[in-house]
Amino acid sequence: MAVMSGAMDEPLEAWFAREILAHEDALVRYLRRMWSDRDEIHDLRQETYIRVYEAAGKARPHSPKAFLFTTARHLLADRIRRERVVSIETRGDIEALDVLIDEISPEERASAHEELRTIARAFERLPPRCREVLWLRRVEELSQKEVAARLKIREGMVEKHVAKAMRRFAEALFGGRRRRSRKKSKETIDGEDDHVDQQTD
Amino acid sequence: MTAKTIMSTSRQIEAQAASWLARRDAPGWRPADEAALNAWLTESTAHKVAFIRLEAAWHASQKLKALGAGVPKGVIPAPRLRRRSRVLRSRGGSAVESARAGTGQRIGSRRRRGRLALYGLAASVLVGAVVGSVWLFQPGGSVYRTAVGGLEAVPLTDGSKVTLNTDTDVRIELSPSERRVDLEHGEVFFEVAHDATRPFVVRAGDKRVVAVGTKFSVRRDGDEVWVVVTEGKVRMENRAAPSGAAPAQPPTLSSGSASPEVVFLPAGSVAHAAATGVLVKEETAAEAEAALSWRQGYVVLHDTPIADAAAEFNRYNSRKIVVADPEVGEIHIGGNFRSTSTDAFVRLLADGFPIRVDEREEEIVLTKK
Repeated sequence: MAVMSGAMDEPLEAWFAREILAHEDALVRYLRRMWSDRDEIHDLRQETYIRVYEAAGKARPHSPKAFLFTTARHLLADRIRRERVVSIETRGDIEALDVLIDEISPEERASAHEELRTIARAFERLPPRCREVLWLRRVEELSQKEVAARLKIREGMVEKHVAKAMRRFAEALFGGRRRRSRKKSKETIDGEDDHVDQQTD
Repeated sequence: MTAKTIMSTSRQIEAQAASWLARRDAPGWRPADEAALNAWLTESTAHKVAFIRLEAAWHASQKLKALGAGVPKGVIPAPRLRRRSRVLRSRGGSAVESARAGTGQRIGSRRRRGRLALYGLAASVLVGAVVGSVWLFQPGGSVYRTAVGGLEAVPLTDGSKVTLNTDTDVRIELSPSERRVDLEHGEVFFEVAHDATRPFVVRAGDKRVVAVGTKFSVRRDGDEVWVVVTEGKVRMENRAAPSGAAPAQPPTLSSGSASPEVVFLPAGSVAHAAATGVLVKEETAAEAEAALSWRQGYVVLHDTPIADAAAEFNRYNSRKIVVADPEVGEIHIGGNFRSTSTDAFVRLLADGFPIRVDEREEEIVLTKK
């Protein structure tokens, strides 16, 4: 277990990114398994993060991963009670929950090499436009203006493309250690900014 | 606040966080902008976590540089061709499903019926423990049966397809003048191939349901008959009036006419016929489809009292749920469940509600906690 001894001075943000976001893939799979309404997964994920972040602000949990899943579980239970709705798809055995977590996300400290591979895979999963924007901006370090010139898109649109690329990349990076339905994450993000693609070409 | 608005909010927040980051990444970021961003971040933890998440990813993306070392400038690497692993969605059930599909197709050919019956039997032995269906070819039609928990799709030689739900017994006879189905008990979904010269007639108790080319289901439990129409239109009528048997009670279920001779049911209709009359509800096609989730092996509950939910589960499982406390039976629940996962269902009830679950060998008893 990743117990960060003597790391209490570390900013909460950094701790959160390393210890919590690293399990996003497993978290999302867990939520999907337990909750039938796919449209609500995004919200449940965010709600889980909020709770974990606020709790960790008071005291960092010893075992972040276990804490993350316990929090998610409580959240679902609260939802059920509040809405009087058992919106849970029992595809698996509920009791296998704890086992499941370990199955889903074996505790592995990613080596630097492993981390690079994850990033590369996430990059490959991006739609072409996002890939271009990300590459030019981050690797070739072109300014947003130069990116616009290179891709022949209006300068004002680059910012929107960058924003979209950020969201897509986050989804692919945290959510994509195992391949999952790209369609779903596409819906998640394209819902609001589909117009970005349409206005460019 | 409904779930839907919360949902869109979490995505909106993510979109806002992304545009903050993108703006900060653009030239012309000023201290005033920084202050505005900070204000936004302190507004709520939701903003904060969404921002941290995207920022962490953005930060990580810088490491792409390490990968770009060997790539000439101006060239954006294309993704390698990915191996697409075609994993079946329902991994657990795939063996059973393919076995089913196999038998189904073979049965479709009429000429080779005798031999195919053997295939069917062989296959049903194979999957018998799970599906437990039996094909019996007899004069006067074919009899199809499923055991409790069973689910079976059977193509017919006229191009129609029938899907049998749990604990069902049905006889199907295709003659040159009529396609006739006798539903002894259980539930069947019909996808009827269009053939105007041969009406498709389902007899269930004292009701006849007639279609030409359409999709609908008929369920029969004793004197009660349910009909759900998802496509086209069917006609429901009384069979030859039962000799001198007048309804014992005044018709209360029927909307308008008492025990109507003929009712036309368009797509979206959910009809329930009992001794007291016929009740027809007009649903949307989607709602009607939802009532047929059993075809995918699911029980879909929507604001359903636990008493009814238990009855529904009991159709699929031999170990019955007993609601021993009326108060428990009145709690309303919703959701999608595997029809054969009674255990998981009751455990959820115990988790989410003040309900005690007593799991005995032959039944599961629910009481108030």
